[in-house]
Amino acid sequence: MPGPLEKYSRQVLFPEIGEDGQARLIQSQVVIFGCGALGTVQADALCRAGVGSLRIVDRDFLEESNLQRQTLFSEDDVQKGLPKAVAAEQRLRQINSQVRVEGLVADVNYKNIDQFVEGTHCILDATDNFETRFLINDVAVKYSIPWIYGAAVGSYGLSMTVIPFETPCLRCIFESLPPAGISPTCDTAGVLAPIVNIIASIQVAEAIKILTGNSHCTNRKLISFDVWKNCWKEYEIANARSEGKCPACQLGRFEFLEGKEGSTVTTLCGRDSVQISQGGGNSLDFEQLAKRLRHWGTVHFNQFLLRFNLDHYEIAVFPDGRGIVKGTKDTKVARSLYAKYIGS
Amino acid sequence: MPIQVRIPVQLRTLTNGEEVVSASGTSVLEIIEDIEKKYPGIKDRICEADGKVRRFVNIFVNEEDIRFLDNLKTPISDADEVSIIPAIAGG
Repeated sequence: MPGPLEKYSRQVLFPEIGEDGQARLIQSQVVIFGCGALGTVQADALCRAGVGSLRIVDRDFLEESNLQRQTLFSEDDVQKGLPKAVAAEQRLRQINSQVRVEGLVADVNYKNIDQFVEGTHCILDATDNFETRFLINDVAVKYSIPWIYGAAVGSYGLSMTVIPFETPCLRCIFESLPPAGISPTCDTAGVLAPIVNIIASIQVAEAIKILTGNSHCTNRKLISFDVWKNCWKEYEIANARSEGKCPACQLGRFEFLEGKEGSTVTTLCGRDSVQISQGGGNSLDFEQLAKRLRHWGTVHFNQFLLRFNLDHYEIAVFPDGRGIVKGTKDTKVARSLYAKYIGS
Repeated sequence: MPIQVRIPVQLRTLTNGEEVVSASGTSVLEIIEDIEKKYPGIKDRICEADGKVRRFVNIFVNEEDIRFLDNLKTPISDADEVSIIPAIAGG
């Protein structure tokens, strides 16, 4: 197979892709939200598969503890203190110079998400919090862009493919955000690289099907894997649209995209602090949260407030989930710390 | 015969780390009430104060979502497996 397709010959030989499928892939545009464990595996695979353009949006900087699972990065990148989106872009250009790679250092929110998805054919979820996932769901449904949910923590992961108006969307299945602070995160409960690789690989396979014109082959179930408990399961979700009550894909109410649901982030002037107000208003179990956080820093709490000190930051959390991150004016840093340790 | 109930990562602090627990009952509600007896506090994490399943949690009997069966009244028979699946966020 001489010529421009030689690089992709093993994929082109796969009859369901073929030269036509590869030609479609080369013209496709993909956005990955998040460039941590899931995002690096996805970006690596899609770059090698030869998508036309790959946009990666992430708000974080590299830390040494990322290297155990975030496959695009090296010790050198950590030493340079690079943002993940920048380090990923550099590495991906070395892997496949034919792909237009764009690494954007940004905190995705309801005001800016539209601009990131313009012209895209598929969105891959690699974020570390619920709120951005619900936001991705809203924007994907609004513009009818297929997207693939994936998440992993510990040894366990979930994935689901959303083809708006054809398959259930995330809000058909999970109607609302869990209250802040009750869910384990990779930074408090740990995560194994193999589960991340499995979930990210499923997401990439789904994306390749969609981008090569094989949407009919996508998985229509909610899939769960646990690599430690040796359990793989599929759950039937096809009839989740039958109720006709989904706020996003059936009633056309994009509450996250309109900023009505989710958090509000405010820099508190002159205080070197950022406030994160999380919707929901459920009362947090400080005892459980303190138990999780004690591994990482010092925790003090009474019935009104929990204070968590980590390096030179302090996160104060109120029972309704509102948090104040002290030690930074940067909303990206504050949202990232809140998502990692409290869980949003 | 006891029914196997799959407990998600989020709730395993309440089940002493157990990922699968046994329960008896003839409906999903009876199963949840039975595990509540053994692991107090777990029902509150699955159901709202008014008794409905929390909106960010799904319960499946075998492969099927109970929302499209008979919700908490969904009957359970011997070989069934109940899975509690909340959304997860890591990545």
